[in-house]
Amino acid sequence: MKRIINILFLLVLIVITGGCKNQSTENTPKKVAVIVSTLNNPWFVVLAETAAAKTRALGYETKIFDSQNNTALEADHFENAITSGYNAILFNSTDADGSIVNVMKAKEAGVPVFCMDREVNSTKAATSQILSDSYSGCIAIGKYFVQSLKKKGNYVELLGLVGDNNTWARSKGFHSVVDNYPGLKMVAQQSADFDRNKAMEVLESILQAHPDIDAVFCGNDAMAMGAYQALAAAGKANRVKVFGFDGADDALQAIKEGKVMATGMQYPKIMAETAALYAQKYFNGKRDFPQKVPVAVEMVTGENVRNYITKN
Amino acid sequence: MELKLYKPYLVKFQSLIALLILCLLISILSDKFLTMSNGWNVMRQISVNITISVGMTLIVLTAGIDLSVGSVLALCGAITAGLLKNGIPLPSADLFVGFTLLGAIVIGLLLGFSLGGFNGWVITKFKVPPFVATLAMLTIARGLTFLYTEGFPISGMGEKFAYLGTGWLFGIPVPVWISAIVVAIAGVITNKTRLGRYIYAIGGNESASRLSGINVNKVKIVVYSIAGGLAATGGILVTSRLDSAQPNAGVSYELDSIAAVVIGGTSLAGGKGSVLGTVLGAIIIGVLNNGLVLLNVSPFWQQVVKGAVILLAVIIDKSNSKND
Repeated sequence: MKRIINILFLLVLIVITGGCKNQSTENTPKKVAVIVSTLNNPWFVVLAETAAAKTRALGYETKIFDSQNNTALEADHFENAITSGYNAILFNSTDADGSIVNVMKAKEAGVPVFCMDREVNSTKAATSQILSDSYSGCIAIGKYFVQSLKKKGNYVELLGLVGDNNTWARSKGFHSVVDNYPGLKMVAQQSADFDRNKAMEVLESILQAHPDIDAVFCGNDAMAMGAYQALAAAGKANRVKVFGFDGADDALQAIKEGKVMATGMQYPKIMAETAALYAQKYFNGKRDFPQKVPVAVEMVTGENVRNYITKN
Repeated sequence: MELKLYKPYLVKFQSLIALLILCLLISILSDKFLTMSNGWNVMRQISVNITISVGMTLIVLTAGIDLSVGSVLALCGAITAGLLKNGIPLPSADLFVGFTLLGAIVIGLLLGFSLGGFNGWVITKFKVPPFVATLAMLTIARGLTFLYTEGFPISGMGEKFAYLGTGWLFGIPVPVWISAIVVAIAGVITNKTRLGRYIYAIGGNESASRLSGINVNKVKIVVYSIAGGLAATGGILVTSRLDSAQPNAGVSYELDSIAAVVIGGTSLAGGKGSVLGTVLGAIIIGVLNNGLVLLNVSPFWQQVVKGAVILLAVIIDKSNSKND
């Protein structure tokens, strides 16, 4: 008897949720889900909040989902967004390969997905991908690196999280230039997890083994700031050149003060706003979107840093 | 025959012996390891872990665990930094409450004590297992940190504040002084006071302790408060060291801390172990981290090696306690 009641209850539940799903298709304002890899980092906070603000300004309902760098949690967010009737998803993936399944799920349900900043490794899943060109950005930084060191010297590379695509896109872009110069020797390559404290501690240890380095290339600005602090504490800040990536506020300030040589300025706001506008065009009937829209990364150095600080 | 004679000493000093072997190995492989400046580096880097792990040791001795230390560290560090930098604006009264260095630090520490005390209260009052109660606090405190910082680092608290994390006093880094004082106090508490004996007794047999008249709940709340306060101390040290409160500071610090406690020979079942053992455990982890970087070991292998060392330490500990 109890089992029958349970089954009945389940059936009622299925009918109810099915009913809700059908209800939200017409008349109510469109709903746009913003699913981001993490809110654990200021850069992604800006990306997510700009995307949400822009969609709201366009007159849609919106909500931010935080995947906490966890592809399984991201899958849950996709399922929830699809079943609760979201009409589009602005998406920043946790994993270039692992997230494809999630995007496909949305596609099958007829929900368009617009990727921001981070790529998914499939051209048939997302409606459009608006991507930060980390690889090319780091080629530019690599060239400036070679030029500033006059093609000669020992350097250290601090990698981000070793399981993250961006870590390797940046590292590969950098090495595609720098490895062509035999005078430039990488004496240590270590991970500091994109973390300022970790970068400081790792570089302190590296400086013990290699006190005579000429430069440090860091996979993001937080690590560049940590690296600078380690160098300053060791009294080597004037001799060792630090390079970062992201365009974070404190790094721009550090470039202005001559503490950091260069960074790659990414445009989270442009990517987020473009994605929101694409969603609007999709609602208005447009279907032929370019699969990939690269958003350039601009190199910031001591010469042009003024333009970037006043801009914000 | 001779080995049997030395066995008790080998067991007693096994962490120390492991540390010496480790140092010997690394110094053979790298001539930069055994230098004064590298030694201070390692000591300064591990002082935060030691500070947190002392609190963790007290908790583990009562057969508990605290998973929230990393998040509590981040929250207290952020609050201290925020009070120093921005104070508390009161827009309704058009007032602005500023804080002195001491004031901000005291509030940060008090917050740590209260969060730890809250853990202890939930664990004793509602009989929630420590693992679950502190797991909840791990998430809550991290969330509050993001709320308070809005996801952005708080930087630029000034040189006076940075002295705590980066300065030197009588030729020794300030954080090392602080962690040494913490260790000394905890050592006295565990070895010489009634509270210390109660902690061991509760970990050994909680119901027997209760029956013999020990106020188990009170002792537990005190122990969790101390751990919270020490996590806050760690948070202030990390923040001061970077002159910046990072919203994601201290992520996975609880694991390093538990590792230090376990490698130091404290039993997760409670009742057995020592603060000094934990200090050795923390030094072993610090030396290992430092050595692997000095030798430029690939980041992938570093994690494997660290895990293997923890496993080895626990296996040796188990096989020794069987022979007792």
